[in-house]
Amino acid sequence: MADPNQFRLRAVFAKRGRLAMLSHLEVAHALERAVRRADLPFAISQGFSPHMKIAFGAALPVGVGGDCEIFDLQLLERVPEAEALERLQAASVPDLMVLAVRYIDPHAKAASVAYPVSQYTAVLSHAPAELPVPEEVVVVRKKKEKRLVVSDFLAEPLRLEGRKLTFALEAKATGSLRPDKLLEACLRLYNDQRGVASPHIATGDQDSMMGVRGAAVDEGSAAAEPEAFSVVSNVGEADASCGDPLTVVTCTRTGQR
Amino acid sequence: MTDLWPRLEPLLAQVERPARYLNHEFGCVYKPDADFRFCMVYPDTYELGQANQAVRILVNCVNAVDGMAAERAFLPAVDMIQIMRDRDIPLFSIESCAPLREFDVVGITLPHELAASNVLEVLDLAGIPLHAADRGPDDPFVAAGGPCAFNPEPYAPFFDIIQIGEGEEAVPELCQLIRSMRDQGADRASILRAVADLPGNYVPSLYGWRSEADAQAAGSWIEPLEPGLPERIDKRLFLGFAESPGWEPNVVPFTEVVHDRLNVEVLRGCARGCRFCQAGMMYRPVRERTADNVVKSVLCGLQATGYDEVSLTSLSSTDHSQVEQILTQVNQECAGKGIRVSVPSQRLDSFGVEMAHLVAGAKKGGLTFAPEAGTQRLRDVINKNVTEEDLFAALDAALEAGWRRCKLYFMIGLPTETDEDIKGIASLSQRVLDRMRAVVPPDQKGSLALSISCAVFVPKAQTPFQWDGQITPEEALRRVQLLRNSIKYRAIRVGWHDPSTSFVEAVMSRGGRECAAWVEEAWRRGARFDAWSELFNEQAWRDAAEAVGLDVDAVAQRSYDTDYVLPWTHVTTGVSPTFLAHERALAQAEQTTPDCTFERCAACGACPTLDSRNTLAQPRVSGGSNSHEEKSYAERTGGAPLPMTAQEMEEYHGRS
Repeated sequence: MADPNQFRLRAVFAKRGRLAMLSHLEVAHALERAVRRADLPFAISQGFSPHMKIAFGAALPVGVGGDCEIFDLQLLERVPEAEALERLQAASVPDLMVLAVRYIDPHAKAASVAYPVSQYTAVLSHAPAELPVPEEVVVVRKKKEKRLVVSDFLAEPLRLEGRKLTFALEAKATGSLRPDKLLEACLRLYNDQRGVASPHIATGDQDSMMGVRGAAVDEGSAAAEPEAFSVVSNVGEADASCGDPLTVVTCTRTGQR
Repeated sequence: MTDLWPRLEPLLAQVERPARYLNHEFGCVYKPDADFRFCMVYPDTYELGQANQAVRILVNCVNAVDGMAAERAFLPAVDMIQIMRDRDIPLFSIESCAPLREFDVVGITLPHELAASNVLEVLDLAGIPLHAADRGPDDPFVAAGGPCAFNPEPYAPFFDIIQIGEGEEAVPELCQLIRSMRDQGADRASILRAVADLPGNYVPSLYGWRSEADAQAAGSWIEPLEPGLPERIDKRLFLGFAESPGWEPNVVPFTEVVHDRLNVEVLRGCARGCRFCQAGMMYRPVRERTADNVVKSVLCGLQATGYDEVSLTSLSSTDHSQVEQILTQVNQECAGKGIRVSVPSQRLDSFGVEMAHLVAGAKKGGLTFAPEAGTQRLRDVINKNVTEEDLFAALDAALEAGWRRCKLYFMIGLPTETDEDIKGIASLSQRVLDRMRAVVPPDQKGSLALSISCAVFVPKAQTPFQWDGQITPEEALRRVQLLRNSIKYRAIRVGWHDPSTSFVEAVMSRGGRECAAWVEEAWRRGARFDAWSELFNEQAWRDAAEAVGLDVDAVAQRSYDTDYVLPWTHVTTGVSPTFLAHERALAQAEQTTPDCTFERCAACGACPTLDSRNTLAQPRVSGGSNSHEEKSYAERTGGAPLPMTAQEMEEYHGRS
């Protein structure tokens, strides 16, 4: 019997369109089912509850899409890459589509830790002249409040071009800052400064945002000075605000490294 | 069709589990060019409705017709409903994200009695007038079907059409008739009049509702408002079930839903004849798909959907004459692929050592058995036809095969029940735990778990117990308390269903047309999602009863003589009223009636009425306390004909 670790297929897929609303678990289930439909010779774990040997890259939150998401699949025999890709594509839905596959070193780092830096692009509902960035984002995880210092996680500063906002976040061993939470915090500051209510956002899975240091919603530090924030400016754009709250239209992970 | 997606999409970030509103699941069917549109609605959320068999089957049946499109719709969760109402977004279908009111026919399945308020929520959210009488030429035809249609009256004013029985043929037929008449320019009233002549279709607006005295004198509560209308609506039976493939296209949802697996229906109907059970009366006769059909369907379905679990569904799957062959072959074919095979509804007398190993797989969850009653006397009253020996034998087999967790289902408030029967539940449960502890090696005793679950008996229309009243909620609580005090073992966990929802179930199951006003009033007072215990609003139902002047306790609790004409007498399952009355008399005499798929015909009337017969893949052999190894089938049945095979059935119908 061949070593089941021998054929480790790394697949790149896109999570896009309306399927950006899927949770990480829903994506994992959907892809596992696609692998079964593709009838690839996947390996099964031994033991009490046998399951497919498939491993996913760093999770994306509900609402965030991805152009280059990753999963690794252990195969029992070598299927040519082109054939494996063709079979996976035939078994996938258009908005959760496998884009490329290649065999990787069986001992390469797991997809979830191999690429700590994620590049994101968000499209906003209108172009703000400038966007305040909070110093800290407070999230609640398993009923515990956690203060995340934004600069610890920013691998690249935010850049604003019209309605497009780009930034890169680095995952730390101690945790990571979710892109949707950072955006939510920035937009809440922006809207609060203009006296506009931000739309309610469902808390989703485990993180729920409590507040932003310095923002009026955070009672604990309501007196914090606005100087504490950094501000990204939108070069050459006048504020296109029309009284509606500034919201995120789409947010996409465009690269991982 | 209006596409609501652009209005919906920006709102999805604000709601929980947006995946249930997304569409684009693997396997959904789009027919944008169809000239006739049917929308199948499950009146609860996506997670509960997506795996529903009726939704899957009927969507496929209508999509199979040229030029017809079928889509699905579900009731959004409470948070989404609020957002939609705030923004005037009407209820939409999944596939086209189109408003329900733009469809030609909207079909709503009535899966259980606690879905009634949700039916009104569906209609209101869709912007469709609640009452059939208020609908005009631009509104869809609103049709109902499903188990609760067997007492259609509490829903009568809300539906244009109520279909009785199996819909595989009846739903496409209905759509065809409406399409062809509409194309000829017929108006709504003429179409409905024609629908009333289609077998299995009840058009409530064409019938008046009599007073109790008039109904008793006339022998029926409904009064045709014009000549020529059928006075009795017999259920539709899908004769081709046994030969039809068990695999059919399946939508694979993204978000986790109940029964999120491949479901292959191995047989339909159950003739065990439990006297409280509506399904057991409603789906007669029994029709088995062959082992070949089932095994092929399982393999084909797993491949096409990518599921890693398959369930062999039916009312009583272990009764299938070839269940061992099916399980053996499926287990063989799926070995090494990480596939789980599950069999719901384990019957005590057919769960032996072999079966325990065949359904075991690698992972053992809990095993559920339903003795239903705590004493043999009461099990005989309800015609459960299992003994304590059957329970202990099944338990031994399960423990030996590695199960450690067991759950037992019981009912409280069954006709003739006494405190002795309640104490019997306690005694039986304790002996079950003793048995479990005795069989399992000492070092594994810690992993043993026994829980019992009690539901309050709900008298169901179309059953031998339809004439028997329900006990009061106070009495139900007293009996639950008695049970809890009678169980001395702390290791046994006791759960029970809230008796306050059971009274709504009883009223919906036994009420007449006057209950519709009560449902509507309760919904107006905030009742919806009644099946979700945290959302059940008992006060709304109680206040509504007062407001409309309906004595709901009487509807739920009154017992009748068998000559009393019940509000659903005009709807039949094929089982004769004489049989039901006879069964009720046998129950009171504590006598049992055997299952006609194993033994002689019990003369329930379903076969002759529906011009059909039990269709078995091969003769059945009963097990446990019901086995008759010493006697041949002919001896047991006094020379009665064998149940037919699928092929014989086809020939039989070809001839007649």
